[in-house]
Amino acid sequence: MNGTVLPSVPEQENPERYKSLVIILTVLTTVLAAVLAALQSDASIRADIANRDSQFYAIQVSGELHRVGLVTNYEFNVFTDYLTNLQQATIFELTALEQEQAGDTKAAQATHELSAVSQARADLGEKFSIFYTDARYAPKEQGGLPNADQYLLDLNEKMNEILTKQNEAADVYATWNRKADSYVTALTILAVAFFLFGLAQAVKSARMRLTFTSFGIVVILFSLLVTFLTLLG
Amino acid sequence: MKKQNWFMSHFEVANAILIALVSLTTAFSVWRTNVVGSNAADESRVGLIDAVKNQALDNENYRKLYEEAGFSYQFAVKEAEVISLEASSDAGAKSRARNIRQYLLPNMQLLGQPLATDEKYRKADGTFDLEQRFSDLKNDGEAIPDPAASFAHADLLFSEQRWLVVGSILLALSLFWLTLAEMSERLRAIQFVVGLATYLFGMAWFLGVEFVFFLLQRGA
Repeated sequence: MNGTVLPSVPEQENPERYKSLVIILTVLTTVLAAVLAALQSDASIRADIANRDSQFYAIQVSGELHRVGLVTNYEFNVFTDYLTNLQQATIFELTALEQEQAGDTKAAQATHELSAVSQARADLGEKFSIFYTDARYAPKEQGGLPNADQYLLDLNEKMNEILTKQNEAADVYATWNRKADSYVTALTILAVAFFLFGLAQAVKSARMRLTFTSFGIVVILFSLLVTFLTLLG
Repeated sequence: MKKQNWFMSHFEVANAILIALVSLTTAFSVWRTNVVGSNAADESRVGLIDAVKNQALDNENYRKLYEEAGFSYQFAVKEAEVISLEASSDAGAKSRARNIRQYLLPNMQLLGQPLATDEKYRKADGTFDLEQRFSDLKNDGEAIPDPAASFAHADLLFSEQRWLVVGSILLALSLFWLTLAEMSERLRAIQFVVGLATYLFGMAWFLGVEFVFFLLQRGA
């Protein structure tokens, strides 16, 4: 009955416990980081190309705007000049008729000549004007007005086409740039996972190792979520 | 047992040398990938500069064309007026026509030159050939490279960069496996084989991509 009672020895913790799990997770994180780096690089390249295309089209649009401005200015000047000459010829002709009726033959003849001069100017001006030489815009009936609206639509058609391409390229740029940024976010989050797994490898307590490993897994899952959302987006 | 120790100690040295080699190769691959990416960006920039130059030249050509067109139109209309005055029976009108033709018309024509002076631009109906004049302005101007050529080259380099990134990643992965083989004791042989195989595959990939794009750039 004199026997001594031995104190209970606590179970010895294995210091190497969970190390294999940490290594496997680190490998997985490395592979994931590599894939993410490739995706980020690809998205970045696509964004660069789209950005360049959008700038190229913007240059073309500005040039086309310049050209359209010059052409319309010229065409409407010719058209206005033609109308002025035509109206002057008509007014001179009416004046000459009034003068003839009043018996002032000499003045009427001089006014007739003025009318002939204006008519000659108008006749040539008509040949210069796209509003009378192009069947698409020429008046359909005698004395009618040319289709200036259709002319402006046609003139701006090329510019609008380039502008549409420019807008599309700008949208593509925005999309890929956003994706590239998201991949950088996912990579940054993965760096946190690397840090946590590194800590897990360094600590001596198996429980602490498991804790760090668990947080690392949560971080990887979050990074995967960001990656998939970016891929699908 | 002795043999195994000998193998283990030699393996660690050999693997360390291989890790150093792979590190250098990976660094070189990353550097090369960045150089290619930088060249692609440079080509894009050159293309954009050419596009700006081309557009500036076109803008100037159009401005000159319509300046000449405006003066030429005024000249042509004044000439029509003179012809009408010359046909008049009035002596005063004829005299006015003579003076305009002698003093005013030549100066108006000079303002619109060469569109108004060169007969090749004059059409049968008395108007002027603006398309021909614009074409001549373009041909006479400074020859600026087509931006499309630079953009195509940039796209090729971007594509090469994309494939080289994959190669760099393979090399980085091999580095990881080899380091793992150096550090751990279990499954060391498998890790080493995986690392070495990935490295060789990565190298073959890298060299293959360089060779293919070298041929493509020569053909371009």
